[in-house]
Amino acid sequence: MKALDAQRIPPAATAAAFFRARRWVGGSFAPYTFILPFFVVFAAFGLYPLLYTFRLSLTYWHGSGSPRFIGLSNYSFLLTDSLFWQSIGNSAFLWLLIVPVQTVFSVLIAVILSAKTLRLRWLFRTAFLTPYVVPLVAVAQIWLIFFDGTDGAVNTILHMAHLPTAGWLTDPTWAKPTMALMVLWKNCGFSILIMLAALQSIPEALYEAAALDGAGAVRLFWRITVPMLRRTISFFVIIATLGVLQMFAEPYVLTQGGPYNSTTTAGYHLLDYINNADFGTGAANSFLLMLLVIAIALLLPWLLRMGEE
Amino acid sequence: MVANVSRVPTKRRTAARLAIGDLARHLALLLVALAFLYPLFWVTISSFKPGDDIATSPLSLDLGNLSLDNYSSLLSAVPMGVGFKNTAIVVIGKGLLTMFFCPLAGFAFAKFHFRGRKVLFTLVLGTMMLPPIVFMIPLLLEMGTLGWVNSYQALILPGSIGAFGIFWMRQQISEVPDDLLDAGRMDGCSPFGLFWRIVLPVLRPALAALAILTFIDVYNDFVWPVVIINSNDMQTLQVMLSAVTTQINNAQIGTTGQSAWGEILAACALATLPLLVLFVILQRHFIQGVLAGSVKG
Amino acid sequence: MGSPKLNTTKEALIVNKQTDAEKASTPETIPASSVTRGTFLKGAAAATGALLAAPAASAFAASSSRMAAPFFPKSPAGQIVIWDRAGDLFQVFDATIPAFNKKYPNITVKHVAVDVDTKLPTTLATGVNVPDGAFYEDNNLPIQAAHYTDITKWIQPYVADILPYKLAVNTSHGRIVGIPFDLDPGLLYYREDLLAKAGVDPNAIKTYDDLFTAARTVNQKLRIKPIRLEQTPVSGQQWVEMFANQQGVSMVDANGKLQINSAPYSRIMEWLQRVSTAGLGTRVPLFSPADISAVNSGQIAFFPYAIWALYGIQFLFKKTTGLWRAMPLPAWTPGGARGGVMGGSSFIIPNQARNPELAWLFYEFLMFNPAGYRAVFGRNKIYPGGINTLLPSYKPALAHQLFENPAALGSQDLWNVAVSVAKEIPGSYYYAPWFNQAVSYFGNDVQLLLDGKLTPQQVLTRSSSDIQSKLINRS
Repeated sequence: MKALDAQRIPPAATAAAFFRARRWVGGSFAPYTFILPFFVVFAAFGLYPLLYTFRLSLTYWHGSGSPRFIGLSNYSFLLTDSLFWQSIGNSAFLWLLIVPVQTVFSVLIAVILSAKTLRLRWLFRTAFLTPYVVPLVAVAQIWLIFFDGTDGAVNTILHMAHLPTAGWLTDPTWAKPTMALMVLWKNCGFSILIMLAALQSIPEALYEAAALDGAGAVRLFWRITVPMLRRTISFFVIIATLGVLQMFAEPYVLTQGGPYNSTTTAGYHLLDYINNADFGTGAANSFLLMLLVIAIALLLPWLLRMGEE
Repeated sequence: MVANVSRVPTKRRTAARLAIGDLARHLALLLVALAFLYPLFWVTISSFKPGDDIATSPLSLDLGNLSLDNYSSLLSAVPMGVGFKNTAIVVIGKGLLTMFFCPLAGFAFAKFHFRGRKVLFTLVLGTMMLPPIVFMIPLLLEMGTLGWVNSYQALILPGSIGAFGIFWMRQQISEVPDDLLDAGRMDGCSPFGLFWRIVLPVLRPALAALAILTFIDVYNDFVWPVVIINSNDMQTLQVMLSAVTTQINNAQIGTTGQSAWGEILAACALATLPLLVLFVILQRHFIQGVLAGSVKG
Repeated sequence: MGSPKLNTTKEALIVNKQTDAEKASTPETIPASSVTRGTFLKGAAAATGALLAAPAASAFAASSSRMAAPFFPKSPAGQIVIWDRAGDLFQVFDATIPAFNKKYPNITVKHVAVDVDTKLPTTLATGVNVPDGAFYEDNNLPIQAAHYTDITKWIQPYVADILPYKLAVNTSHGRIVGIPFDLDPGLLYYREDLLAKAGVDPNAIKTYDDLFTAARTVNQKLRIKPIRLEQTPVSGQQWVEMFANQQGVSMVDANGKLQINSAPYSRIMEWLQRVSTAGLGTRVPLFSPADISAVNSGQIAFFPYAIWALYGIQFLFKKTTGLWRAMPLPAWTPGGARGGVMGGSSFIIPNQARNPELAWLFYEFLMFNPAGYRAVFGRNKIYPGGINTLLPSYKPALAHQLFENPAALGSQDLWNVAVSVAKEIPGSYYYAPWFNQAVSYFGNDVQLLLDGKLTPQQVLTRSSSDIQSKLINRS
């Protein structure tokens, strides 16, 4: 048709545009096609739900009819709700129980594992990694039986040793430490591995030089090992912090958030709203959690780097 | 090699101190290893004990009453085979996607200079900061709209290409010498050819580690499957395990009121077994893979 | 945490026995047209012999004929998917399907064991794989009420004969949206032997003050803390509601107005505090190992709870079986009601169900048809003596003893006790849609009271304001 003909761009010009574009992006379109699948999957199953969550968080919706727009009302409710802050507090307390202990323990074990004269290193490494492989649901069952208030193995042993027992999973004071222990048991293997990997990259020469100067094992540790491990430790602290903040599965299988919401983490709290079909508040809670995680993920490296000085 | 923090011996006394230090080290590690291994050992042994014994005297090492009763009772009530099948499908599906696309994207970020590389990579990293739980409900509703509730696609596609995988692969691939790639380019290799024929073979240990890590993660994933699976024939192993444990809250089975801990532990043992076996066989590759590409922050 | 979905109630939970194969039933070759409702009922009434004991409450006897014009074609056909929680009840319902198919040979029932509490809400929200009918606990009903089919016109013939409170629980905005299942009256279970040893006469316990005194005597003589106090927050909240129902109230009134901060609840809180501070209570989570061990070791002599505590007495507290007896709950005021409701469940038909009418026929058979309710509540393969942990909420079904007197209660005539108690139950028992969420506030606060950390007034004031501001005002 005549009109279309006039609009058709001559092929030479398209080809030129194509090559110009390709040069502009750096010489090849290949990298874009390589990373495209990730972004497609993310856009479909990550970004879209995220935007939907945000939209939902501004509404009142209980699963039927259409969501009713209520602005930031859900947010103002959550930010003034004691249960919400309790869940944040629980996560913070759990962080204290888990991250420092895991870091120190992993570094120490990794150091011991690196000793030259150590035998059966592979055996120990496998042993430490085994809990990581066990399904969380199974680990929770173990904890439920071991730490049972009346017949649990732990209390039985304590009783035999005439030590005081406790309702490990039924007493609000002890539920968090018991859950923290479960998280530590399951995940230390992996962090030990990370520290081992980092230790490997410390040049042997540094140690030999310092040893020749007469430095003792402890001095070597503090003067060489720790500073060289700093970046890895920072990296690990960030990963572990993000993990603790998002903790959902552990309270889900072990305590269902109880007793008295003492193990309701920031990530678990929103389940309450979901279960009660309060989707608007649940979405707002999700979004707040996400903002918290992002804020800490951005703040933490900066803080850690400050500490490095 | 490994860093050595022990002193160079100069006197006989320090030789003795060294030996004690060595012994102490081994002992400490042995204790820790026991602490890490004992619960699993306990689950395995207890799964052969009658349920009531487990609840009332969990620590007893009385091997008198061992039997396969828990397993037969469990398997007659719960079709674990279905769980294995579904888990296998999901693991293979998700695993293949990860193993192919993560190194590919990592390769792009590591070895290509293209406009927007930094921004795009930061975006990729940024997705790691999004808590998975946040997606649960909207993703469920989305699956509902797509008609994918209770389907394999819903189990495999979301999260199939993880940012951590890309990050790690990029780290590994950036260590691949550029000369190798230049040589390939001069031979007329396409970018994808470079990836397939040059990068991947070099990356084998890291790939093995990624495969194992992905396998573990996908195999053990249960939160999303529990949410999205609606019918009993689509349950993965973890969903079944989760159902067995939560539906037996007070550990009672049937009208005889017998403790169901036996069946629960049998289910746990069965669910853990494949992964454990695989892990023990492949642990060397996994550990080497992780250690080879030591994290430099 | 507010969701009770991870807490069990009365039914034992059997691991899911579902196979992949469709549950096709074998249709009998009875020509459907020859079986009308009238002939069936008459035939069924003549057939029941063994379970007829002296009729307990003639007040519940059915009105003679209630024949309504059938709403449905003579030979309805199709498939229905029915969800039930895994457990013994699942097996009981499963065993009724052949009887159902005798009446409706062309309706195929696909009976699926599902964790209904977790699956139903998301299923209703996404509209995918929606069953035609599901078992659902009463406290969960109001939350999803907008998704249920309005069955008011179908259930009309039976409305007059359903216990009023149960009907109210199944009503949302004036529409009946659920089929009532069980009546769970509260009872005071007591250890006959321990009371005898302490010289306490159970018949002298008529009010909660009497119970307190009796408990103190038992405590002094036997050195135990005899009154069982509930430690699980959600069951605890149901438990308090039982006490409240006795006094004619529940957390909300018929219009949904909060009434916790009131005299009846005050009475309950104060009594709980008295028991607790006097050291007369043993506090355990429902049916937990601690519960079992406390009962088995003779720590508990008074178990005020829903009738289905009998499940524990029969199957869990094995060392004390045969030593327990049941009596009506004490009254809160002299002459007050000695009956109250605790919990209960019903059936719902989602409005997105493919065959809601067929599902209705199924539940109608199970609940209002003698062959059906006898199969459910009476003798069956799963419970040879019948289910003695629940009562039907349909008056004609209460006219004749359905279960055998349990050996665990020394063959005491539990049926009579329970049914006479049921007569006294005040009608006002309402579930607010936020009942489950309230557990984080009220349920937990009650536990804190029992911990000694809150006073009765603090519990009521705090819970009230929390529930009002965080749950009601945001609805």
